[in-house]
Amino acid sequence: MISLNVNQKTYQVDVDPNMPLLWVIRDIIGLTGTKYGCGVAQCGACTVHLNGEAVRSCVTKVSRAEGQKIVTIEGLSANNDHPVQRAWQEIDVPQCGYCHSGQIMSAAVLLRENPNPTDQDIDEAMSGNICRCGTYLRIRKAIHIAAEMQKTKSNTGQTKNSVSPVKI
Amino acid sequence: MIQVSRRRFIKNAGGAGIALWLGINVRGNTIIATNIIESGNFTPYILVESGGAITIFNTKPEMGQGTFQSIPAIIAEEFEVSLDQVTIKNTNGEKPFGNRQRAGGSSSIRTNYTDLRKVGASAKEVFIKAASARWQADESDCYAENGKVFHKPTNRTFTYGELVADASKLELPKEPKLKDPKDFRILGKMAKRPDVPLKTNGSAQFGIDVQVPGMLYATVARSPVIGGTLKSFDASETLKIPGVEKVVQVERIMGRYHSVGVAVIAKSYWIALKARKTLKIEWDNKGYENFNSVDYEKHLRELSREEGVLDKTIGSVDSLNLPPEKNVEAFYETPMVAHHTLEPINCVAQVRGDQVEIWTSTQVPSSITGSGENDVHKYIGFMPDNIKLHSTFVGGGLGRRLNVDYVIEAVGIAKNLSQPVKVLWSREDTTELGPYRPMTFSQLKGGFSEDGKLISFQHKVISPSFQEAMNPAYDIKKVDGTMVEGIGEQAYEIPNLKTSYVRADFHVPVAAWRSVTSSTLAFCHECFIDELAYKANKDPMNFRLELLSKPSDLKRVLLKTREFSHWDEPLPKNRGRGMAQWEFFAGLCAQVVEVTVQPDQSIKVDKVFAVIDLGEVVNPDNVKNQVEGAIVMALGAAIKPGITLKDGKCMQHNFYDNPLIRIQEVPEIEVLILAEGGKVKGVGEPGLPAFAPALANAIYAATGDRIRKMPFDLKKV
Amino acid sequence: MIVLTLVFSMIALTSSMKYKSDFHMSDTADGVKKDSIESVKAFMKVYEVLMSPRCMNCHPAGDAPLQGDDNHVHTMNVVRGPDGTGLYAAKCSNCHQPTNVPGLHTPPGNPKWQLPPANMKMVFQGKSPRQLALQIMNYNLNGHRNKAQLLEHSKDTLVKVAWNMGEGRTPPPMSYSAFVNVWNEWINKGGYAPKQ
Repeated sequence: MISLNVNQKTYQVDVDPNMPLLWVIRDIIGLTGTKYGCGVAQCGACTVHLNGEAVRSCVTKVSRAEGQKIVTIEGLSANNDHPVQRAWQEIDVPQCGYCHSGQIMSAAVLLRENPNPTDQDIDEAMSGNICRCGTYLRIRKAIHIAAEMQKTKSNTGQTKNSVSPVKI
Repeated sequence: MIQVSRRRFIKNAGGAGIALWLGINVRGNTIIATNIIESGNFTPYILVESGGAITIFNTKPEMGQGTFQSIPAIIAEEFEVSLDQVTIKNTNGEKPFGNRQRAGGSSSIRTNYTDLRKVGASAKEVFIKAASARWQADESDCYAENGKVFHKPTNRTFTYGELVADASKLELPKEPKLKDPKDFRILGKMAKRPDVPLKTNGSAQFGIDVQVPGMLYATVARSPVIGGTLKSFDASETLKIPGVEKVVQVERIMGRYHSVGVAVIAKSYWIALKARKTLKIEWDNKGYENFNSVDYEKHLRELSREEGVLDKTIGSVDSLNLPPEKNVEAFYETPMVAHHTLEPINCVAQVRGDQVEIWTSTQVPSSITGSGENDVHKYIGFMPDNIKLHSTFVGGGLGRRLNVDYVIEAVGIAKNLSQPVKVLWSREDTTELGPYRPMTFSQLKGGFSEDGKLISFQHKVISPSFQEAMNPAYDIKKVDGTMVEGIGEQAYEIPNLKTSYVRADFHVPVAAWRSVTSSTLAFCHECFIDELAYKANKDPMNFRLELLSKPSDLKRVLLKTREFSHWDEPLPKNRGRGMAQWEFFAGLCAQVVEVTVQPDQSIKVDKVFAVIDLGEVVNPDNVKNQVEGAIVMALGAAIKPGITLKDGKCMQHNFYDNPLIRIQEVPEIEVLILAEGGKVKGVGEPGLPAFAPALANAIYAATGDRIRKMPFDLKKV
Repeated sequence: MIVLTLVFSMIALTSSMKYKSDFHMSDTADGVKKDSIESVKAFMKVYEVLMSPRCMNCHPAGDAPLQGDDNHVHTMNVVRGPDGTGLYAAKCSNCHQPTNVPGLHTPPGNPKWQLPPANMKMVFQGKSPRQLALQIMNYNLNGHRNKAQLLEHSKDTLVKVAWNMGEGRTPPPMSYSAFVNVWNEWINKGGYAPKQ
């Protein structure tokens, strides 16, 4: 039995410790916001936060995640209102939408660690996330918007918008 | 002409009392709005319930092209409701919604724009009629706004919900009055798409996300040699693995492509995938193990010497007898590419006796539930009435999901079970099994008169035939219109024209890839036009405009493009700009690309100007998103390695050897929308074909290197 | 002329003094006799390993790791970052797991997958044997390792992983134990740098 903490809930899952975290999250726990795109860490659709880090769940064994803090797209915010999510909605970033759980999870880490990202920072953070529909220019613009939104939010002293990383 | 009787249809929708369906009925060319549902030929687009709830139905699967907003928007505009007041529902191939439940060919708006406006307008008129009757007032003193009817003189109002009972007794107007576009509140304005919030928190459900109680998972082993099929298999080791339920044979059918594989069914996808590796399978390669892309390309080059089948002719290219120095000839080659919808192929199916239930991402719901010749029912052996479909958000259609091979396969597997089963293709399966966009080679010839005018143009396409692949009854002696699309239809005024087609045998599954054959033919055609321009010592924009003396959409678009892209402003020495345009069934778009030659001689794509001609625009922001995305997709097909076969097998497997464009590779893109009335044109595909030739033409302008083959490496041009 | 020779010999003296002070070595303190010829011979073998893809790919000259037997720049635009562990949503450990992921073209693994940090890059790529040897022996450039620590370094799991990096990745040109032998021999016999 493996104990997993996902979006602040504990799940006991009876699976092979070598099963990739992605399939545990999707098929066993039933959270399908995290997507399967390639299975080999190439596309980023499977990105979740493991102790705050943007880890590719398709290659991460569930045993690595045992007892750690996992956040999926469903748990990024209570009301679809993380600055990145709000920015994405502000300018209608997605087309088909399939890659955007991963895009948003990656962008959230970028903005936590760099509240004023340049275009180059965005490239370096986001090049691992493929968008087949080609919404990249909007992703870039939305990250800048989210950075602005994040500043405003923290100025008004409202709740923190993301979880700080805990180094293992 | 349908009889509109006075009998109304009252449906108890969810216990909310009386409800009213409103839609359109199409018989030949006559559009009639009726409030009676008759099976098969009535498309109910609007449902109004007496409790006040309004639902608008979207019959075009949402795959990122925005129909979830744009189809309802057109109806809502004329119906005088805001989209915030309505619930939008995607249809699922149900019979009452008709056989237009398909999204492809950039057709959703352009073939339905006026019909949908009429639906909304006639619905509005019937509610105004109902209200004015209740008030015993003049209809001309009433108007509708935000789901209510108002009586101007007395300020009385009724909501649509309050009028349902009355409205249901009335006949709908046959020729409703449409709004003046200057009064539009929704159409043509920036509008938010209601599916976006679902896509930012993981709640949008795609086919791959479907979970049904008791569901099993399946993965299918298929012949690595394309064209091969199952000979025999031994699953004894596989069945020992905990979690594995069954191992069964299943056929894949795609047009004339048939191949049998082996499905492993298990309690989770990962178990099934691991178990699949333990299968011992003998394949019958049927001789296809000798197929190699390199040899096939040689074969196509040899075939180019044949006359082929004539597609179109104007004047007589053969009787011109131009001196050799007045002739230009070139040969262009474009590769196979994969669709790579980011959501891999999947389908859930459950068979219960003579009933089948299907859940999947598809572009063609009405082909899955329909009763037409080429619909799924025949392949799966179920009566159309016994097929129930749940059609989800689609994680990329791109033409791949116009095909239903994976639905037939899932049902084939489900027949061995009582439980539902989700069949999932891995990214490797999705890459290695095809279908692909077929390669097309083009032979182009141009001829100039004494005084330097272009008077002769020939374009011969050599390629596999898409129609032949899909339709076993196809007559190979006729030209495959899909493979020569657009090349005889460009607006250039050239007095002697000949387009023709040479068909090549090809056993590999092929499919329409966004913008179909235009994605390759535009490259050949428009690069060659540039070659001719340079041969004539003319600026490429001027050269094209000189071939457009009469008014035409293309002329209008090119003049705008010239202005929009600052075409006439000189660029610094290490930069170049190139242009191209393409007009085809889907629409018309012209583009200008600017590049810079880097110190290490590699090419950087700086900027793209795109002008898209629409006639009417529904959601301008969505149009921009679509054109930007099409350009990114075109860039990938132009510069990234394509699909190759060796020893019969696909050499590419996943994104590490069949890469896609990433964020750092995207140039700046500016889009100009032309919506100046006239014919409504499409959005999904037109942004794609013009990009690659515009890029190649820009590289020529910057470096003097003429590129005649895709893909080309920007680092080594 | 005389002045120059004096200057050069001063420099040479200082270098060898530097070796002495870095490594507190005497001829026979650890039972191994210094031997500049044998030491250099051993290093030339070490050099073959260090310049093979499995080692050199993570000791690149630029800011991005290299990948594959053909040393192409690692795809997906990943970069070193200040401490060598990558940046933002592209940190090494986001994809590289504690162990190899099974299959071709999947990320190889180690619990501390990373590049050397930006302030001490330990570049192998493009270095001549002499340059590399001097660099490794330089306390200020080698992660502040003394002789004993340098000897230990060959046992580091991130070094060992070069010999077990998963399908499709050619291991270094000699076995791990052969490598450890020449590494030890080179250092113990004086850590001399070849002339070129």
